[in-house]
Amino acid sequence: MAYDVNGTAVEHDEEGYITNLGEWSKELADVIAKAEEIEMDEEHWAVVNFLRDYYEEYQIAPAVRVLIKSIKKSMGPEVGNNKYMYELFPYGPAKQACKIAGLPKPTGCV
Amino acid sequence: MISTVYAVLFYVATLMMVVGTGMKVLKYARTSAPLKIPVSPAPRTKRGVWFRMAREVVLFESLFKSNKWIWLFAYLFHFGMLLVLLRHFRYFQMEIWWWVELVQPFGKYASFAMLAGLIGLLIRRIFQQRIRYISAPSDYLMLALLLLIAVSGTMMTFVSKVDIISVKAFMLGLLRFRIETMPVEPVLLIHLGSVALLMIIFPISKLMHAPGLFFSPSRTQVDNAREFRHLSAWAAQLPDLPEGIPAPEEKK
Amino acid sequence: MAPLDNNEPRKIGDPLKIPQIECGAMADTNTFAAAPEHNEPLGFPGELLENWKEVAIAKIGELADKNRAFRVYLDTCVKCGACTDKCHYFLGTGDPKNMPVARQDLLRSVYRRYYTFAGKYFPWLVGARDLTKEVLDEWYTYYHQCSQCRRCSVACPYGIDTAEISMAAREVLDSVGMGQKYCNEIIAKLKKTGNNLGMNPKALRATLEDLEEDLEDETGIAVKIPLDVKGADILLITPSADFFAEPHIDGLLGYAKVFHAAGVSWTISSYASEAANFGMFIGSYENMREVSWRIRQAAKDLGVKRIVFGECGHAWRVGYSFLNTLAGPFDFLDQNYPIPQHIMEFTSDAIDDGLLKIDKSRNDEFVMTFHDSCNVARGSAMGRQEGGQFDLPRKVLKAVCNHYHDMERDTIRENTFCCGGGGGLLTDDLMDLRIKGAKPRMNALQQVTEDHGVTHMAAICAICKTQFSKVMPKFGYEMDNIMSVHQLVANAVILDGQEDEADQAKAEETP
Ligand code: HEM
Ligand code: SF4
Ligand code: SF4
Ligand code: SF4
Repeated sequence: MAYDVNGTAVEHDEEGYITNLGEWSKELADVIAKAEEIEMDEEHWAVVNFLRDYYEEYQIAPAVRVLIKSIKKSMGPEVGNNKYMYELFPYGPAKQACKIAGLPKPTGCV
Repeated sequence: MISTVYAVLFYVATLMMVVGTGMKVLKYARTSAPLKIPVSPAPRTKRGVWFRMAREVVLFESLFKSNKWIWLFAYLFHFGMLLVLLRHFRYFQMEIWWWVELVQPFGKYASFAMLAGLIGLLIRRIFQQRIRYISAPSDYLMLALLLLIAVSGTMMTFVSKVDIISVKAFMLGLLRFRIETMPVEPVLLIHLGSVALLMIIFPISKLMHAPGLFFSPSRTQVDNAREFRHLSAWAAQLPDLPEGIPAPEEKK
Repeated sequence: MAPLDNNEPRKIGDPLKIPQIECGAMADTNTFAAAPEHNEPLGFPGELLENWKEVAIAKIGELADKNRAFRVYLDTCVKCGACTDKCHYFLGTGDPKNMPVARQDLLRSVYRRYYTFAGKYFPWLVGARDLTKEVLDEWYTYYHQCSQCRRCSVACPYGIDTAEISMAAREVLDSVGMGQKYCNEIIAKLKKTGNNLGMNPKALRATLEDLEEDLEDETGIAVKIPLDVKGADILLITPSADFFAEPHIDGLLGYAKVFHAAGVSWTISSYASEAANFGMFIGSYENMREVSWRIRQAAKDLGVKRIVFGECGHAWRVGYSFLNTLAGPFDFLDQNYPIPQHIMEFTSDAIDDGLLKIDKSRNDEFVMTFHDSCNVARGSAMGRQEGGQFDLPRKVLKAVCNHYHDMERDTIRENTFCCGGGGGLLTDDLMDLRIKGAKPRMNALQQVTEDHGVTHMAAICAICKTQFSKVMPKFGYEMDNIMSVHQLVANAVILDGQEDEADQAKAEETP
């Protein structure tokens, strides 16, 4: 199980989350997004970038509420709301956006 | 000759049933329940549990709530059988107790309730898709065996009467370890033979449900885990875990 | 991601409707297997053992010796069939192996073969069978289609609890190296970080501070969500989903407001930052004990007097029924309070004591019903009265909402239907099963929506909330139609000095 990024293989698990977080790149994000049938635009990238920054600092993805609050600050309330997040990432901003951002899947009762 | 065979059969059957069931029950009693798992509606007191169990045994309460047809047939069968069994006491007593006398007339017709229940259960087992799916050959055979007992018994009461006096003499003899001669009637032989078989398989079959009910933790436990600490013998032997939070570097 | 797509339209149906049986309907629905790094930290072999057969058979014998329920339940079933139509997974899928007794039989047949007279000498007569790899795989499939909700146990004349068999089966599977990824990965994570999410103390602190900010923005009051405060009176143990997911977080804000209004000092622990105990799902006493023990350690370390559990179904079963056994005795806590106490008991008492100022009209946009989470309903209790686990949440809901209607009697209280995601099945790879298993509950909800215009359902279980937020859209609801009970409490509670003037005026009018 691997993504193909310009000829290099990047391993992922059964659900499409990459196994070695260090292998993430913007090109890879595009490849994962394509597999998820998502066209990455500026708003998607804003989410992905925030997730990566947050993960960098805390080693875990942020709560959806924290994510939305931050996006609201940076991109305004039309983008920074729950509904719009699900439009951007139909399978959930937490799980699907994390996958594209190369973060591990949030586990537990979530 | 036949009398001897049957006498031996009955001694063996009784031994199997009493010792076998006793051993199983002892095993149940000795197996610990590691956790409190009473299922709702769970009483918070011992008295409440006694009351709950009494309702289960006397009314088949849970079954009534969950399936009216099965309840009806199972109830007819069990309480028909209970009366019939009580009626049978008279074959084992010189002086018949007054209450055994009292149940005689009911016991006589209770066999029809028992039969009706058994037939109902059998029909459901054969024609109800879900129950057919979960039935093994032994489940049908068990019902067949009980039907055999009930039919042969009922026949002796209402159709081909047997010599009750000598049957009683035979039974009383067994109780005193003497082998009297019994009447050689095919129906009687079938009846007694199948009863003996039922007694033999009791401890190794699903008939263990009767004693088993009293060892079912979800029904017999008191719902008081917060008030009283429940600890099984083997769990008490587990090695201690550390108290307090380990310092950060010790954290795994 | 295919399973999420089966968005076939569903009509309002009878929640109790019994399907025709359809053999093998769910035979190919399997949950992801655990990798060695998930199994080993739990003390299980990483991969399928070479001598799996001997180990599995020995394990069955060991369980029969160590657990009365397991032995008695395997022996006493009369195959009466009363439980066959009680499982939501059977009702939703029609697969006969999802009938509780048939699920038990998958293991009972093997137990009989090796441990009973009839099975040893007359296997064909009593439906006994040898243990083969196919049987093992079948166990893996169908024991991961049971949410251990115990609805079948209520129905059985002997109280036979398929959840016990299912836990035991998973333990046998774990003992030969066939763990489930979802559960085992999470337990391993908890042992490292203290919670199922894998949230470290730093992230937890940042999240809680963020939430405090939200609370202050909303109320104008500095409502605290304290972390690791030594000497606090109350240690709150809540599912980590309350720090992460919606509508769980709103529930957490509700607890914070109630504690604030009641004027008690409380704290969360970063060491025991998880209420859920997945050790129960896999039937492992040792793992369950280890997870529970963290709560004891945290309580001792912080020097608290009381332990209160947040909204979490399985956690409350472990908390109420098992905690004293697993991590007791709690003689170092204040004995005047139940140990542990449920947040619902706390809030209910606070309402009785008049500690909460409540404006019910703030929830007027919602017409509510309540989903009894199975593990609370059938595996625990609350309050001092029998049935408190049903009555207290309803009482609290009715104290904070004007519009409330119950669903059909056979689908609530001790007969409640599982949400479809409990018992370690709340994983995306089982989404198809989860949607089908939710059908009876959803049908019952649709009924009250039709009859009483119910718009929202409240629950007190992290798994239920997550599950419903995912499956409700398949049944014509929005994902936020599922709410936390304490979310509604939070909406309605007005704190002393709260700045919203309109509300102040209103509160003064109503005596
Ligand atoms: C202790 C309380 C008891 C309860 C709650 C109980 C309940 C039941 C139930 C629900 C069935 C299932 C009927 C069916 O659908 O097949 C059954 C079967 C049976 N019971 Fe009991 N029972 C009890 C005690 C007894 C006792 C003391 C006996 C004495 C021999 C007995 C003998 C049988 C037999 C022979 C069957 C077999 C019917 C079959 O194979 O289907 N039961 N019982
Ligand atoms: S415990 Fe629940 S999920 Fe499991 S078989 Fe029984 S009813 Fe079904
Ligand atoms: S209700 Fe109980 S006894 Fe009847 S088939 Fe189900 S598990 Fe067996
Ligand atoms: S998830 Fe909720 S409804 Fe489902 S089994 Fe657990 S407590 Fe019950």
